[in-house]
Amino acid sequence: MSIGANKRVVMISTAVVIGMMGLGFASKPLYDTFCRVTGYGGTTQVADTASDTVIDRDIIVRFDSNINPDLKWSFKPVESTMTVKLGQNALAFYTAKNISDAPLVGTASYNVAPIKAAPFFSKLECFCFTEQRLEPGEEVKMPVLFFVDPEMANDDRYDDIKTITLSYTFHKVEAPTAAALTTEDRTKKLEEITALELTQ
Amino acid sequence: MAGATGYGAHGDAPSFFKRWFASCNHKDIGTLYLIFGILSGLIGGYLSFMMRLELGEPGFQYFANPHTFNMYVSMHGLLMIFFLVMPSLIGGFGNWFVPLMIGAPDMAFPRMNNFSFWLLPTALFFLLLSMFVPGNPSGDGFAGSWVMYPPLSTSGHSGPAFDFVIIGLLAAGFSSIFGAINFITTILNMRAPGMTMHKMPLFAWGVLVTAFLLLLALPVLAAALFMLMTDRSIGTGFFDAAKGGDPVMFQHLFWFFGHPEVYIMILPAFGIVSHIISTFSRKPIFGYLGMAYAMVSIGVVGFVVWAHHMFTVGMDVDLKAYFLGATLVIAVPTGIKIFSWLATMWGGSIRFSLPMQWALAFIFLFVVGGVTGVYLANAGLDTAVHDTYFVVAHFHYVLSMGAVFGLFAGFTYWFGKMSGYLYNKWLAGLHFWLFFIGVNLVFFPQHFLGMQGMPRRYVDYPEAYTLWNQVSTFGAMITMLGVLVFLIWVIEAFIVKRKAGDNYWGEGANTLEWTLPSPPRYHEFNTLPRIK
Repeated sequence: MSIGANKRVVMISTAVVIGMMGLGFASKPLYDTFCRVTGYGGTTQVADTASDTVIDRDIIVRFDSNINPDLKWSFKPVESTMTVKLGQNALAFYTAKNISDAPLVGTASYNVAPIKAAPFFSKLECFCFTEQRLEPGEEVKMPVLFFVDPEMANDDRYDDIKTITLSYTFHKVEAPTAAALTTEDRTKKLEEITALELTQ
Repeated sequence: MAGATGYGAHGDAPSFFKRWFASCNHKDIGTLYLIFGILSGLIGGYLSFMMRLELGEPGFQYFANPHTFNMYVSMHGLLMIFFLVMPSLIGGFGNWFVPLMIGAPDMAFPRMNNFSFWLLPTALFFLLLSMFVPGNPSGDGFAGSWVMYPPLSTSGHSGPAFDFVIIGLLAAGFSSIFGAINFITTILNMRAPGMTMHKMPLFAWGVLVTAFLLLLALPVLAAALFMLMTDRSIGTGFFDAAKGGDPVMFQHLFWFFGHPEVYIMILPAFGIVSHIISTFSRKPIFGYLGMAYAMVSIGVVGFVVWAHHMFTVGMDVDLKAYFLGATLVIAVPTGIKIFSWLATMWGGSIRFSLPMQWALAFIFLFVVGGVTGVYLANAGLDTAVHDTYFVVAHFHYVLSMGAVFGLFAGFTYWFGKMSGYLYNKWLAGLHFWLFFIGVNLVFFPQHFLGMQGMPRRYVDYPEAYTLWNQVSTFGAMITMLGVLVFLIWVIEAFIVKRKAGDNYWGEGANTLEWTLPSPPRYHEFNTLPRIK
């Protein structure tokens, strides 16, 4: 036995401990990225460009809404289901109303079921991308512009997907950022979306 | 010789305070770990006994507040895992016998060894303190089970109790990390001349693999605990969906630690049982290399199966299939170990001395727990019995009958070596039979309860579950009687002082510790043994 050899083992062991602890902390961004890339756990995708091919296969999209009890809003989809073709760009709306007497900022978390549909569920525009600010008593319509990626037809593992449920949960934001959408922002955004010429 | 190293002669021990409170001697620290393990085991056992008494009949008997019952559940788990099994198996027997078995004079870092030990009473203090401070508006203490899932452990426990639990577990975790570094260095660098890795006793192999698991798994738990702490105190949102975090991520982190943790608790016991089977069959262990590398592969595969604890969180079916398959693979190296023990006994000249009885009971009961483990690895079946008493029965068969029977096997095997005294065979035998019958009566009926759908972690249950709960509680009483007899035989042995010889098991016990006196002198191997 020599002191040098002991020192080496301790150095390597300590490096392993620090490395594993670092990986533990790094798991937050890693897990986040992993979910976004793979659609793990039903994480939907974000698309920059609209879909340009439409396949004649119907998918029923169901809309689900939940609200964290801390946020005094009512929140529900305008229509509870919608039938779309694979690759069809579709626009759906949710309504939210601030039922408290103070302005409140909320943010939505989201996923889809079945989980395996997530890599193909692409959103072009969504109220969940930003925080939303509602004045007391204000009621708004919030858009989701999405399509189900026609790529899904290329793999028979996804042939059993007939229905996709899109679910949102609104949470209260304690410390809102400046980017929270207000009434004017939303009106402008809605005009932009409706102005888009999309294959509906 | 003595002057050169600054130590006294072989038998010289320092004054009482210096010997037990500032100890740098691996045997004394091992003894401290064992005493500590027994004490925390008694507290943890008391908690479980109260739980069993409560569940003896439907309705409320002893617990006015369900929160307190769940707090007992949580503390029982944490105490038994972090403060009984780990300190006794790794800290206790590891410290005592790894240096002796590999022919080393002491551990590589004796002062760090002392520090590792004394972190544990500190940790235990904080954990016990947590039971008496407010947990949440429902009552005192932390009632979120040993898995500590958020949001129950964050927004669900607003009081300081869980902060004390975090401090306690961090202290216990770092104690184990330092201990692991010490064992790795000792085993890699301080083996006696001629003792290659492939000649090393299997207990040392078990502790080495365990130490690597500790080194890789515990920092992840520490990171998860730190994140829980900041989520609770400074408003970060690692596990809070409202802040862009994910509570399921905690479950991944926890079980990435938690699954290797179950092998941390069983691998040293595998080592002990191997020596006992070999000793009392008067044969070398069958398939030594296979046994060693089976432990290594259990350790490696143990790191890639964690999500089988989380089949119900909403996982993709492909992912479930992977974790199912990977989990079943572990049955292969485990099978290698079981069959090698059987093959060691085959054709051997077997004596059914007490350690052998414990070891045989270990194999039998561990296989029962292993078989229900193979059941539970199947995602479909697991979804049905998840969080029922079937799971409770499964993990108590591998832990409270696997790891703890391994502990008692080692304790009876080495008691004479450590204390210098032989135990009373009749009393120690009574302990074995009471404990064996007791724990089986406690846990076997819980398989039925789980199959009937009785959920875990509730203070009360519908009357339909009464019968097997009564049997289980009756078993707990027998087990407690067994624990009492255990304490009596230990005390009796120290009072009567039947001297133990150097090698009181005779032929078959041929690892290095049997070449030394019982108890070994204060410093051993001033001249290193040579292994041929």
